[in-house]
This record gives sequence, structure tokens and C-alpha cells, in this order.
Amino acid sequence: MTAEARATWTGERAPGPQVRTAGRPVVELRHVSKWYGDVVAVSDLSFELWPGVTGLLGPNGAGKTTTLNAICGLLRPSQGEVLVFGKPLQGDPMLYRSIGVVPDGDRLYPRLTVHSYVRLHAELQGLSGPGEAADRAIGEVGLTELAGRRLRGLSKGERQRTKVAGAIVHQPAMLVLDEPMSGMDPGQRARFIDLVRTVGAAGVTVLVSSHILGEVERLASQVLVLVGGRLAASGDFHAIRDLMADQPRTVMVRASDARRLATGLIGLPTTVAVEVEGDALRARTRSVEAFATELPRLARDSGVSLREIRTTDESLEQVFNYLVRRR
Amino acid sequence: MSRSLALLRFALGELLAGRRLPIVAALVALPLWLPSLLAPSSGQDATTFALDLFRNLVVPVLLPVVSFAFSTAALGNELRRGTITNLLLKPIPRWSVLGAEYLAAVLATLLVLLPAEVVAQLLAARGLGSGVLLEGMLVATVVGALAYSAIGLLLSLLLSRALLVGLAYALLWEGAVVGVAPSASSLSVRGYVEGVLAAILDSGGGPELTTRLGPASATILSLVVTAVALTLARGRLARMDVP
Repeated sequence: MTAEARATWTGERAPGPQVRTAGRPVVELRHVSKWYGDVVAVSDLSFELWPGVTGLLGPNGAGKTTTLNAICGLLRPSQGEVLVFGKPLQGDPMLYRSIGVVPDGDRLYPRLTVHSYVRLHAELQGLSGPGEAADRAIGEVGLTELAGRRLRGLSKGERQRTKVAGAIVHQPAMLVLDEPMSGMDPGQRARFIDLVRTVGAAGVTVLVSSHILGEVERLASQVLVLVGGRLAASGDFHAIRDLMADQPRTVMVRASDARRLATGLIGLPTTVAVEVEGDALRARTRSVEAFATELPRLARDSGVSLREIRTTDESLEQVFNYLVRRR
Repeated sequence: MSRSLALLRFALGELLAGRRLPIVAALVALPLWLPSLLAPSSGQDATTFALDLFRNLVVPVLLPVVSFAFSTAALGNELRRGTITNLLLKPIPRWSVLGAEYLAAVLATLLVLLPAEVVAQLLAARGLGSGVLLEGMLVATVVGALAYSAIGLLLSLLLSRALLVGLAYALLWEGAVVGVAPSASSLSVRGYVEGVLAAILDSGGGPELTTRLGPASATILSLVVTAVALTLARGRLARMDVP
């Protein structure tokens, strides 16, 4: 985001209600559950959101979108209540003057241009200068050169950024972003992360969902971890990472003689277990760093060639499962 | 511009976007204009011809088909594509969103039907023809569009195949069932439309028209059906979870 774009975040906002959050959270979920027939989407969720960026982390099917939709007022909880700025959203649509949402999925009108789509959002927000507001928001997501292009001709990443522009056109006090970076290339992601951080630093309450750990790590200091519709962990991102510090990690190694290498690995004090299958071995270690230091030495000493090394438990699902087991 | 006006303009634009308007307009105009063009040469009375054309083509087919096509698409397409979140996540009450989509569907229907009816009358009469008949046809079309569109909007909030159900109602119930069981005409928009037309023709000295429903019953029932359908649609949209 350009310095010019940063400066404009304090420009015209929709004439929204007095949003007073001092002393109370921007969003409160109290024992929220949602079920569809026999299927429980989320169960007994209670948490609060405060100004700044919060990541909502969880594997596919964990209930992230259901949670976001409940916060946005798109669905009613089967049980419990959701308060936004201290009120239930469904009873006061005027609260949407202070809320911007990027929902999951495409949800765009193919016949519209980038500018007309964002301008529509500005008009529906009641902004007095919808054209100017649209120009500014389009600039903030870096789509100025594509403003006149129809949405049907854009790439997924460009369409995603168009949705973001629509969500921020009225400079809301709260932003809800459901998997906002899907389809963006690395450059676009970096730019988007910069935008979200800037917005969060400006005091906006941002909730970003993702199933990619590294993505959330770059975006948010606070995280909520959902697993199987339940809140598995919440708090500072690094504190949650620290919770996992004593969890053994699995490393997969392919080598010219996996069995001989395994004999050496099992002798390391940090190794928990080693399984050999053909030319591959799976080692569980309490320290990936120590393993990475020792492995080349062991391979050299035993005359084994290493073909492939990768950690297999960096996937979010395994991290989440670990957190769930700790509960 | 107010939010509701912006929403109405957008909803109307969505309904009439691309090739939809010329295609629907052509499908309506051709069956109305071609026979109207040929009518004077056949020596048929222009007023009788125009009335027959309206009662046999516009009321039972074109009016319900066009109304249901637009009204079931108005919110139905938004729901199907998921784009309705663009409208609902705004500082606009859901009933206002419903109202804008309803008005857009009615306007789109009238934009297609009314000019086609006027041109058909001009062609058939080689001039303006019977003023009271034209007035009756236009008012009856408005009444029908209001009622069918309210029903169509409600159906689109309840069913995924709303257009099919709407057409089945118009063609099977109104076309067949009411024909063999006249008492069922109290549940037939077609009956209301004909009742309103008959009332206007009667008050203006136009051709006499025999209908199953009296003018008062037709007017009141059409208002009731429209109001009930819109009330149910409003309740449905207010309560529904948006996927």
C-alpha cells in the first residue's frame, strides 16, 4: 500500500452509528452453537475480539466460515448470542456502516467493472462521494489500472482484491475477511498483508480466517484456533506455537540406504522413533533443529546419500490435533 | 442518491442486463404484433380483436411468464450465485432489499409488456382504438404484474425451482383447474386480472365482459394475495440463513 493510500484511510467514512468500544470488546460470542439437522457446525464458541488483527485458524471444515457468517449476521446461531459493538447485528442493520466483509467464494457480478462494483458498495453504504471512495479503495488494493475491466475477465487474485476494495470502501471500524488471500500470487499477498497490518494498526478490528499457518503468522499476532467446530486455542500466536514446542515432529528422509541411516538416527538423544519403509524413513524427533544438524553428519559418516528431506507434520491439521489433545 | 434508490437501480440493471431485455421483449412482441398487423386486413372488429388477444394471449401466458421470469430471478439469482451478501451486508434493512427487488421485477415486467400492448393496439386499430379498452388492459396488466411478482419473489425464497413452480401454477392451476372448477378462480391471479379489466370496461362504457369474479372481489383479492405474498417473503428473508 502506498503512503498516499495509508493517509486516505482516515478520509470519509459512512455516516455510521457511534461505535464506542472503549472498555468492551468489538465482538462478543457467548456460547454460540450452530447446527444443521444432526450436523454440528460450531459448538459452544465463546470469545471476544478487540481492535487489531486476529487470525481465525483451522483446517477445512473446522467451522471458520460458519463462525464468520454468525459474526456478520448472515446466519443465526442455534444457541448463544453474537454481539457486535454491543448489539446483535440482526436487530440493527445500521451497524453495517461500520463493518466491511469479504465473504468466501466468488460472489461477484461478472457484468460489472471493478469500479462499478466497488462504487455499488459505496452507494449502498450511503457515501456522499461514491466515485471518489471507489477510486481510493481500488488504489489501496492496487487495482487502479484494472478499474475499467469487467470482473468476468479478471484472475482469481484480482477478483479477490476487488472484493477487498468493496469491503473497505467505507473505511469500516471492523473488517471480516474469509480466506481473503486465496488466488493471490506472492506479490499480491505481500501487498495485502501490508494493507491488513496497516488497517489493524490504525485501530480497526480485523478478523481474518485462513487454513494456512504461515499466512496467519504474517498477518496476526492474536489467533483463534478452531478444530471440529470448537475453539481449540486462543491468544498470542507465538504463545500457541510455544505450546507445541514439546510436540515431537516427524521428518521424512529418502536415502540410498535408509536402514543404515536409521541405525545412526536412533542413537540421537532427541530421536523418539524411526520407521523404515523401502528407501524412506520416518523419524520422530523432539528437535527438528538438532535433527537437521546431525542428519548430514550421520549420512556422511555412514556413506549414505540423502535424496529428500521434509518435515511432514507442519500441516495445520497435525498442529490442531495436538492442540485438541492438550485440552 | 439514497441506498434504496441505488439498490433499485442496480436490481433493475441486473434483471435487464445483457441480452435478456431484447430477447424477452422480442418473445413478447412477436406473438402480439404479428396477428395485430394482420387483423385489419381480415375485417375483424379492432376492439373485439384486441380484447380477445389480451384475454387469450397476454393474460393466460405472457403476463405470468414474464412476471415469473423476472420476479423469480430478482432474488433467486442473487441467492443462487451467493451475491446476495453484497446487498445484505449493508446498512439496509432486509425488507428494504426485498422491496427494491420486488419493485425492480414489477418495473421490468411492465417495461416489456406495456409498450408491446400499446403497439399491438395501435397496429390492430390502425390508430389509438378504444381508449377505455387500452386503459383497462394496461391497468389489468399492472395489477397482474404486482400479484404475480409478489408470488414469484416468495417462491424464489422458498424453492430452488421457483420459475418452474410459478409456471406450473399459471398454466396448470389457472389454465386447467380454474377452467373446470370455476370456484377456484378466487385463488387465481388470472381471475383478478380479468375482474379488474371487466370493472374498467364496465365503468367506461367499453365492451361487456363476463368474468367469474366481480370487480370488488377481484380488486380486493388481488391486493390481499399481493400483500400476503410480500409479507411472507419479508418474514422468510428476515429469518433465513444466508449460505
